[in-house]
Amino acid sequence: MRRRLGLLVSAVVTVTIPGVLAVLAILGHEHGIAGTTAISAAAVADESAVGPLPLAPASTVPAVRNAVATVERTSGGPVTVYSDEAASHQARAMHMLVLAAAAGQATSYQGVEETRQLGVNGTVTVSSQVWHQGGGLTLIRTLSGATPVVSYDAGDRSPTGVFGVTSAQVALLGKHYIAAYRGAGTSSGRPATIVEVYRFDGSLAARFWLDARTMVPLRREDFDAADKLVSDELFTQVRFGPVTERPTAATAESPALAPSSGSAWVTASSPATQVALLAKRGVRLPGTALAGLPLYAAGWSGTGAGQVTDLEYSDGLSVISLFVQQGTLAASMAGWQPLSLGGYRVYVSGHSVTWTGRGEVYTVIADAPPQTVAEAVSALPGGGQPGLVDRLGRGFDRLAHLVDPFA
Amino acid sequence: MSHLGTQISALIDGELAGAELDRASAHLAGCPACRTEAAQLRQLKRELSALGELDSADAVTRRLLAMTHQNGPVTARPLARQPGRRARRRRGRYVMWSAMSIVVVGVGAAAFGMGGSSSGGNEPQITPQLEVFDMQHAITSGDVPFADPSNTPAKPAARASERTPVKASPRASAEATRP
Repeated sequence: MRRRLGLLVSAVVTVTIPGVLAVLAILGHEHGIAGTTAISAAAVADESAVGPLPLAPASTVPAVRNAVATVERTSGGPVTVYSDEAASHQARAMHMLVLAAAAGQATSYQGVEETRQLGVNGTVTVSSQVWHQGGGLTLIRTLSGATPVVSYDAGDRSPTGVFGVTSAQVALLGKHYIAAYRGAGTSSGRPATIVEVYRFDGSLAARFWLDARTMVPLRREDFDAADKLVSDELFTQVRFGPVTERPTAATAESPALAPSSGSAWVTASSPATQVALLAKRGVRLPGTALAGLPLYAAGWSGTGAGQVTDLEYSDGLSVISLFVQQGTLAASMAGWQPLSLGGYRVYVSGHSVTWTGRGEVYTVIADAPPQTVAEAVSALPGGGQPGLVDRLGRGFDRLAHLVDPFA
Repeated sequence: MSHLGTQISALIDGELAGAELDRASAHLAGCPACRTEAAQLRQLKRELSALGELDSADAVTRRLLAMTHQNGPVTARPLARQPGRRARRRRGRYVMWSAMSIVVVGVGAAAFGMGGSSSGGNEPQITPQLEVFDMQHAITSGDVPFADPSNTPAKPAARASERTPVKASPRASAEATRP
């Protein structure tokens, strides 16, 4: 009888521990898990779009068209959904964007950029004076606002493109959108070549004006899925050629702007590894994509006192930078506007959103439609200061990670 | 004096009546020996009656068992064993529930312990260093820094500056440089 009781207890323990762990971990993260599932599904859908892009009438359901293309590709046959004419447009337009990315780096120019972006808290406008020496130094000075913006990277790194047209972003764009050449136009008083970018459902996602002579982007418009303009960036003034009015006093004026050795941000060789490291700490994030944007880069910066993890999500047009650091938001958030977003109380400044979730501070900086930003925020942990349930949830996360490091 | 003899048995069994009963009762009142014998006979009769009742109970049990045998191969177990078995079953149930409760409480306590802040409950207070983050975003997105100057905090909170090694200059009219 005693042996029978012992067996019974062993069976209960064997079944109960993993069961309770699984159930409570799921209950503790119903929100995050739901988001993760949704995002994973989106990632799978995106996966079928990698490679030669199919093109079909706007009325075609993307999933159906992608499925057809996948089947044809798997069978070894040509992807006939993609017409010859469309293929020609796509190849030509993508080639133009590749040239634009290279030109943005190699060409010298100076001018004034204006950016109007629809954020989660209204439209934000920023004007910046830009000087760029081809293949060399770039200076950016923000003009709008009472106090000029202070932005400085200790590693002397800087954007490598104009209006987000970089080789990395163009490569991503080619996997998630269909580009098409749309003829000639003008922008900033200069002749331009127009390239439009479409979603798989046929809706317009973005429009680029590329300088006809240099191929440097002159203007960029972004549209959401409802054809609403969500971002407009353009040169209000631009001049190509050697930089003649470059300010030289800035570096001398500010010690903080003096070049430093090496970058404070370390680029992770594998973005997934950074996500796994956060999971080990009990920070559960959507795995490979956020709000439908694939994770494509990651990095971290920190000292012995703490660490900031940077995860970059982009589909080539929309970009979301997610910064995660341990702690809680300060009691006083001067300069930030409180807002309810994605079910959480967040603070917004420009196109940045920050909030506390389960003992971590999340900061999202987005060049993306407001709906995408809201979706991203709601897919991440939130809820302010960690309570008992949060603490238990984080504990179960850590326990689950001990049991299965790949969870 | 002549004793009651065989009449004493008839008297105890209630078989005497009339003059015989009067004569026997009068003798019994005056004869201690016959009274003793009558008392012993009554005691014996009571004991025999008790034995008779037990036999009839066994007979009923035997008949019931015979009926169950006729309806199928049912193993008859002494009824006296049932209470002990029930008690053991109840004890097993208590053990099972206790084990489960201990497991749940133990796992919950472990999760509570592990769910605490790795900084020992002293959560750092942070104001995000927007200038630094925005510059990093600009570098990876290929766009200009976007931090709204009218909204950007002039200086990060002390705790935040301890945590982030990249320093943002509070100087006005500063410019971002890049190679």
